[in-house]
Amino acid sequence: MPGLRIQYFRGPVWGKTHDQLRKMIIQGNNPITGKPVMPEIIEKLTKPLTAEEKKTGTATLDVGPDTYTGTPDELQQLYLDKRYTDFMPIILPTVEKVEEMLKGTSHEPDEIVGRMNPGSEAGDTWSYTVKDVAISAVMAGAKPEYLPVILALASTGTTPVNVSDNGFMAGAVINGAIRQEIGLNYEIGAVGPYAHANTTIGRAWNLVAINGANCGKVGTTYMGTVGNPMNAIDVIIAENEEQSPFEPFAVRRGFKKDENIVTVFMGWGILSAKNWKADVWGPNMNYPQIIKDIYNQQDAMFGTVAVLSPPIADFVRDGGHATVEDFTKWVQADALAAGPMTAFGPAKPEGKPAGEGKPPAGKAPAGKGASKGKGGFGPMAPQFNVVVTGGTNNNYFMMGGMVPAASVQIDKWR
Amino acid sequence: MKLRIAVIAALCAGLVCGVCVTGNAQVAAAAKVTVLNPMGTPPPIQLKQMAERPTTLDGKTIYLVNTGFVGTERLMEVMEEWFKENHPKTTIVSKRNPSMDVADKALWAEIQEKADGVVIGLGH
Repeated sequence: MPGLRIQYFRGPVWGKTHDQLRKMIIQGNNPITGKPVMPEIIEKLTKPLTAEEKKTGTATLDVGPDTYTGTPDELQQLYLDKRYTDFMPIILPTVEKVEEMLKGTSHEPDEIVGRMNPGSEAGDTWSYTVKDVAISAVMAGAKPEYLPVILALASTGTTPVNVSDNGFMAGAVINGAIRQEIGLNYEIGAVGPYAHANTTIGRAWNLVAINGANCGKVGTTYMGTVGNPMNAIDVIIAENEEQSPFEPFAVRRGFKKDENIVTVFMGWGILSAKNWKADVWGPNMNYPQIIKDIYNQQDAMFGTVAVLSPPIADFVRDGGHATVEDFTKWVQADALAAGPMTAFGPAKPEGKPAGEGKPPAGKAPAGKGASKGKGGFGPMAPQFNVVVTGGTNNNYFMMGGMVPAASVQIDKWR
Repeated sequence: MKLRIAVIAALCAGLVCGVCVTGNAQVAAAAKVTVLNPMGTPPPIQLKQMAERPTTLDGKTIYLVNTGFVGTERLMEVMEEWFKENHPKTTIVSKRNPSMDVADKALWAEIQEKADGVVIGLGH
């Protein structure tokens, strides 16, 4: 709301003692103006309204002209200066290239694909058209045949560059024959930037958020305290369905095997399971137990995702878990017996204010599997999800905190 | 001899041709192109006039609202102490909104009716 009088002070608030809050915030200065906080609050409560603050009606943000003209070097610099990019060089979105990209879908260029805000219920919600998405897809270096996947991702309205000071990331799991059709990599290096399709689709999703929805602008729509390297290229995981002993992820979410589905995930990210002491290499490896031990170390906020290479998935199956559902039940048993958890520890009894159980930045994403309390974020059972991808060249796998949200049919965007 | 002349001619042709290609590339590099603005559409923003301000807080009632984010309760307690020490003629009413993204309609109605000003704790 323009004109709302906002008082800034040096955060964070949480974790500080009463005395620290008094000295550092109440008796401290506004980090922007350098002036004492409380006198500024008094001024905001008593200073007469300005003409600007008395305005009513509708205001619209100016997003600039429809086109820009210049030499390629000038335009690269202009797009960098205007923060239309992810700081890497782009393919300049000429009319010809965008028209070529639009051949990747039968949808009209002016059709609204989705709406997105910077996440965590913060900031304005922007809308973007098929053409807007195609422009970002060109800039990312994507091919027209990838456009349905990029449109499907954009249609979820999930920003991969969440405003939260936590430094969230987003990723996506892709199932179906489209994996082979567009050349997605699901073998060696599957979750990394080792194929054109995975890399440019991940980049395009970022650019849709940055441009289509004005996300990722440091200081306004991006506040990640330390940031997250997985915001550079969003993690696009094509499942290795052919070498997985389990049903594909999308089938386990209720879709048919012949459907092309993309499921968005959100969370902290993933890293090698070797990061945890539970995964100590030796001649005898009990991988189901290792995965369970890591799960039991995970925070409840995004639960746990296990990104298993096919050999590890085989170990799980051979360990007596014929299905992921059975394995999940076994993995979660101890945690569920301990009672519901929130991001701040054990859930509070019913009737108590749920606010102190809020995550440090914003609401959990939809589909988080939480047993939602009244008014938002409530007690939840920590989720456990399994995705199978990668090569068969070694017994390695990744774990992390990521939770699935929306699943979308890609073919609807052809 | 004829062969030698032919080879020299071919080399010369290649040289000229090479100059032409380089020249075209330089022209192409300097050529201007038109590109599309990638930005989406921001929502229209409905402007609301702020409440008229009192000239002094003496004799006025200020509500301090804790929206429930972790740590805010303690911050608002410290702020209430500051008001009591520095503005003893101001009545401070501390309230708790159920959460930061759900409005307590009864509380906002009460504020509209009874408050001369409100400080809402949003951050963390």
